[in-house]
Amino acid sequence: MVPLTAAPVRRAPDAVACAGLSVGYGRPALAGLDLAVTRGETLALLGSSGSGKTTLLNAIAGFAAPLAGRIWLAGELVSGPGRLVPPERRRIGMVFQDHALWPHLSVLDTVAYPLRRSGASRAAARRGAQAILEQMSLGPLAGRRPGQLSGGEQQRVGLARALAAAPALYLFDEPTAHLDANLRGQILDEVARRRAADGAAAIYATHDATEALAIADRVAVLHSGRLAQAGPPAEVYSAPEDLTVARLTGPVSVLDAPVRPAGPGQYAIGIAGARATVPGTAAKPAGLVGPARPAGPADPGGPGGPAILVRPDWARLGDGDLPGSVTEVRFRGPHTDYHLTTPAGPLLIREPGPPRVGPGPVCWSLVRLRLLPPA
Amino acid sequence: MRAAAAAAAVVTAGLIGALVAVPLESLGRVAADGGLTGIVRALSAPASRVAILHTVAVAGAVTVLAVTAGTALALAVERRPARSRLLPRLLVAGPLVIPEFVLGFAWSQAYGPAGLSDRVTGLTMPGLFGPAGIIAVLTVYGLPLAYLAVTAGLAARADPALERAARAAGAGGWATLRTVTLPLLRVPLLGAAALVFVTAAGSFAVPQVLGTPAGFGTMPTLIYSDLALSAGPAAFTELVVLALTMVALVLLAVGPLDLWLARLPRAARPETPLAVAAPRTAGDRTVMVIVWGYAILAAGIPMLTLILTALTRGPGLAPVPANWTLANFRSGFSGGAGAALARSAGLALAAAVAAPALGGLVAGLARGRWRGPLATVVTLAYAIPGSALAVGIIIGYGRWLDGSALIILVAYVAKFWVFGHRPVQAALDRLPPGQTRAARLSGARPGTAVRTVVLPPLTVAAATAAGLVFVLAFHELTMSTILYGPGTETFAVVIMNQQDLGGVGATAALALVLTVPVVTVAAVAAWLARRTAVSPGIHNGSWSP
Repeated sequence: MVPLTAAPVRRAPDAVACAGLSVGYGRPALAGLDLAVTRGETLALLGSSGSGKTTLLNAIAGFAAPLAGRIWLAGELVSGPGRLVPPERRRIGMVFQDHALWPHLSVLDTVAYPLRRSGASRAAARRGAQAILEQMSLGPLAGRRPGQLSGGEQQRVGLARALAAAPALYLFDEPTAHLDANLRGQILDEVARRRAADGAAAIYATHDATEALAIADRVAVLHSGRLAQAGPPAEVYSAPEDLTVARLTGPVSVLDAPVRPAGPGQYAIGIAGARATVPGTAAKPAGLVGPARPAGPADPGGPGGPAILVRPDWARLGDGDLPGSVTEVRFRGPHTDYHLTTPAGPLLIREPGPPRVGPGPVCWSLVRLRLLPPA
Repeated sequence: MRAAAAAAAVVTAGLIGALVAVPLESLGRVAADGGLTGIVRALSAPASRVAILHTVAVAGAVTVLAVTAGTALALAVERRPARSRLLPRLLVAGPLVIPEFVLGFAWSQAYGPAGLSDRVTGLTMPGLFGPAGIIAVLTVYGLPLAYLAVTAGLAARADPALERAARAAGAGGWATLRTVTLPLLRVPLLGAAALVFVTAAGSFAVPQVLGTPAGFGTMPTLIYSDLALSAGPAAFTELVVLALTMVALVLLAVGPLDLWLARLPRAARPETPLAVAAPRTAGDRTVMVIVWGYAILAAGIPMLTLILTALTRGPGLAPVPANWTLANFRSGFSGGAGAALARSAGLALAAAVAAPALGGLVAGLARGRWRGPLATVVTLAYAIPGSALAVGIIIGYGRWLDGSALIILVAYVAKFWVFGHRPVQAALDRLPPGQTRAARLSGARPGTAVRTVVLPPLTVAAATAAGLVFVLAFHELTMSTILYGPGTETFAVVIMNQQDLGGVGATAALALVLTVPVVTVAAVAAWLARRTAVSPGIHNGSWSP
C-alpha cells in the first residue's frame, strides 16, 4: 500500500466537512466527529433526543464554537482553532424545530428578511418574498402574523424564509416533529423539489427512522455524541453495525439461536430442532469499525453467541417449518403486524394486506438475517 | 357569572373611589374654587413654571439614561449561563432596597464637598447638588427597573432560536439587535420607560436632599415647601393646582401607553428557558468590570461613607477606628425616633397585609372585560405622584383622620395597591384553567376548591407582593412628610428632619437603621425566591400587564 502523501485528486469541495469535531460545555455533546456532505446531497442525521443532532447543526451554523476540530463549508474553514465565521456569513438556510418565527413581523416581512439583510431595498425584498410565497401557495398569508397561523403554516413560512436566502446549505432541525403525517409529506416534497432545483446540500436532523430513510441520500446515525454509522439508507437499514443503530433505523427483532456459516453469504440457523439456511450478512467484530459503541441493554445472543437481527419484512408466515405462536395481530392499513413468540425469542413479522392468520401456533420462515458479534 | 362580575366591578369601583377618586376629586374641588383665573395665576407663577420644567427635564433625562443603560447591561448579562447571571443581577438591582433619601444623603456625604472622595482623593462630583446629581441618583433607581423589565421580557419572549434565525438569515450582531431583539422587547421597554418616568417625576427625597441646598426645585419639593410655609388660602390653591398639574402630566405621559399596551396581543409563545448563546469570554470580563465598577460607584462607596459617617464621632474628623463611636446612634434615638421606628414598621406591616389582600380580591373577582380597565386604573393609581395623592388625601380625609397615623396607611395602600395586585394577578393567570373544575369533580365544594387548589399556588406571589409593599411603605417619605402630624411621624420623616437640623452623624446612624432591616428582608426574599425557583423579576419591574 502506497502512503498517501501527495494531495488527493482535486474535486469540488464538500458542501460540509467536519473533522475531529467536539462541541459542548463541560461534557462534550459531540465527541470527535468526522462527517462530510457532498454538494447536492441530503444527509439525514438520525438519533434520539440528546444524541447531539441539534448540537451538530448549531456548530455547523456557527452558533456554537467547537471545543476541538474543524468545520469547512464549501472548502472554506469556518470553525476551527482561532477561527469562527459568524452565522450570517455562512450562507446557510435553517429551518427550526419550533419554527422560530418573529412574532413582530408579518409573513411577508419574515420571508423578505434574508433578502433585506443581503442588501435588497425594502420594496425589492418584499417583491422577492411575495414571489416565494406565491410559489409555495402561501400568498394569501402574506399579511398575517405568526400568531395567526396554524402549526403547519408556520412551518411552511419558516421554510420559505430559509429558501429566500438561496443558501448553499440547508439545515433542518426536526422540522416535522410537530406535524401530522399529511403535512409532513407536503413539506418533505417541497424540500426535495427545491433542492433538486438549486443543487444545494441539506442536513436533516430527525428522530424518525421512516422519515430519515425516505428522504436522504445518506443516513448518519448519531448516538451519545458519536457517529455510530453512516451510509445509504438501504445499507443502514439492512446492515446495521450494532444493536443501537438497528433499533434507531427501524423495527427489529433479536433472536437467540445457534447459527453458523454455511457457505458464502449463507447461514444455518437452528430453532427448537427445526433448521433453515438463510442468506445474511455479519457485522465485523466490535473494535474494528467505528468509534466505541456502548452495548445495548441486555444484549441477547446467548453466552458468547452472535445476536441474530431480523427486520419485520425478513420473515414470512406459513411457508416454512420454524415453530412459533402468534400472540397478537395488528392491522395497520397497508400492512399487518404479527407478534410471535418463538423458542428463540419474540419476533415481529410484517406482511402486506389484511390479517390472514389469527392468534395460535404457526410456522414461519426466514428470508434474510443480520448477525451481530457477541457483546 | 354576570352577577359576580358586576359585584366585582362594584367592589373595585368602591375601593378605587375611596382610595383614588376621593383624593383626586378633593384636589379638583379646591382648584375649581379659585376659578379659572386662580388656575391660570397658579400655573403662571414663576416658581410653578420652573418646577414643572425641572420635573419634566429631570424625569426625561433619567428615563433615557436608565432605559438605555439598563437595556444594554441586561442584554450583555442575561444571556450568560444561568449561574453567572445571579451576581451581576444582584449588583444592579441592589440599590432598589436602599431608601431614596438614604442614597441621596449618602451620595452627598461621599461625593460632595468635604465628602469621603474629597478627603481621600481631592475629587468631588461637579453639580452633585443640582440637576446632575439628582439625575445621577435617580438613574441608579431607574436602571434596575429597566434591567428587570428586559430580563423578564427576555425570559418570556426571546426564544434564542428567534435570534439564531436572524443570524442564519444573514443578519449580523447589530442588525439582529435592531431588527429582532429590541422589537421583541418593545413592550417591556416601553413599560419600563413609563415606570422610570413616573418614579423619577414623583421622587421627592432625592431632589429634596440634593436640589434644595442648590435652590433647584421640582414639583414635589415645591409642593412640600409650599405646604410647610403656606400662609393664605390663595397659596394653598396654587399648590393644589400644581399637584393636579403633576397628576395630569404623569397620566398623560403613561396613561395612553398602559391602555395601548393592554390592547396589544399577548405573546403566543410558550415560555422557553433562556438558552446559552455562543460563549463570549473576553466580552464577559469587560461586562463584569463595568457592572462591578457601576455598583461600587453607585451604591458601594456611598453606603460605605454612610457607615463611616454614622460611626465617626464628629463631622470633619477622619473616619479611622480611633474616632469611632456609637454616640451618633444614641443621639439619633434620644428623641422620638424609637417610637417612630415602631410606628413605621407597624404601618408598613399593615400595608403589606392590606395591599396583597385587596389586590387578590380585585384579581380574583375581576374577570372578562373588566380585567383590562381595572388593571389600568390600579396601575394609574400608582402613577399619581405621592405629593399630589397626599395633598388630596389631606383635603378628602383630613377632617376625620387628622392627627391619626391611619391617614398615612390610607395613602400607602392607595399608592402601593398595584404591587399587591400585579403579582397575584400574574399568578392567577398562570393557573391552568381546568384546576378548580377538576377539584369540583373530585368532590370539593366551591370554597374548598378555592382553598385547596387556587390559594396554595398564590402564596408565593402574595408573599412576594407583601415583601415588596413592606419595603416600599417602610421607605416612604414623600407622602409621609405631608401627612404626618405631631406624634405620627414615621421613621423616614424623623431622619429627614434630623438632616434638616444638620445632625450629619445622627442622620447617617438613623439612615443605617432604616436601611438594614429592609436589606435583610430583601435578602431573605431573594433567598426564598431562589429556593422556590420563581421567575427572576421579584420586583415586578414590568409595567406592562
